[in-house]
Amino acid sequence: MAEYRVLLVDDEEEFVSALSERLMLRGIEVDSALNGEEALARLVEKEFEVVILDVMMPGLGGLEVLRQIKSTHPDTQVILLTGHGSTREGIEGMRLGAFDYLIKPVDIEEMLEKMKEAAKTVRTS
Amino acid sequence: MDKKVEELFRVKEIGFMGKVTASLSHEIKNTLAIINESAGLMGDLLRKDAPEDWPQYSRLANLLASIEDQVQRSADIVKRLNQFAHSMDKSLAELDLNETVRQTVILAQRFAILRRVNLETQLEPKPLHLQSDPFRLLYVIFGFIERAINCSPREAEVRVKTERSGEMFQVTVTDQGTFEADNLRELVSTSPSAEGEKAESDLAILAQTTEALGGTIAAEQEDGGLNKVILSFPARVPGR
Repeated sequence: MAEYRVLLVDDEEEFVSALSERLMLRGIEVDSALNGEEALARLVEKEFEVVILDVMMPGLGGLEVLRQIKSTHPDTQVILLTGHGSTREGIEGMRLGAFDYLIKPVDIEEMLEKMKEAAKTVRTS
Repeated sequence: MDKKVEELFRVKEIGFMGKVTASLSHEIKNTLAIINESAGLMGDLLRKDAPEDWPQYSRLANLLASIEDQVQRSADIVKRLNQFAHSMDKSLAELDLNETVRQTVILAQRFAILRRVNLETQLEPKPLHLQSDPFRLLYVIFGFIERAINCSPREAEVRVKTERSGEMFQVTVTDQGTFEADNLRELVSTSPSAEGEKAESDLAILAQTTEALGGTIAAEQEDGGLNKVILSFPARVPGR
């Protein structure tokens, strides 16, 4: 049985597909969404301990999705994915309640470590 | 065109360049992320299903590792590009001169490598906070580093030092190259209103930009063949 459930949210389909498969190979239960609206709909259908959320998406942007998740699912931990070298979105995201942020391209071991820490806080809360 | 309007146009043009560059660098990061995960997945599947005694196993594993290394290398380059792009966001900002010099040296490093010149830094241990135009400051410091690299022989060293000198913040570029102190002093002191080749030379424009930042330039040659260009900047750009 998977240790925790993760929702992966990014508008790049190939990125989502490859990363989802890599996480599943490591025993993690993964679901995915290609935009913010789809992500919020998924969260209504199912509980996720961790959301991996791209900041820059067309339509409903990552930071707005984060705001809504923290409002409707305060226990769900969000780890932001940002492409920017300057970490402005990361810092703004932390202020909005994100657990942490990662800069693309991501090292999968680093991502796994952060997801584990995030999931731990959900289980102990 | 009125000088003030011209200046405003220049600020807007630079801001446009910065905005588009930052956007493009973000798109490149997305494609690098796809390549990274795809190569990573290939590695995962290889380790999971391919027999280790398969003749192509280690070759494929090495190629995938090489792809991941190059992805990281590209990501570092894009990070520098993005930082460079963001230097164009504002025409006045609070800066740490050490960080500006660090960023400039990173940008100049490839030029130094191509000329087989060693580019080193000697930064003041404490931050050197000042208010200035980030892009113009970068442009001036880069310009003098480039000059030093271009006139240096192979294997020579160009050193970039930062320090506080009274109320001013200094960047000293030292090189071991061919140096004509009088020529350099004449070019950097060329008036903006002068006409002809001298006024338009790169050094004259660098000098005028330094002046626009409230700074000054001094050029010296020391015994032993060390040449120094000392850029001094105030804590605040006058009149801004």
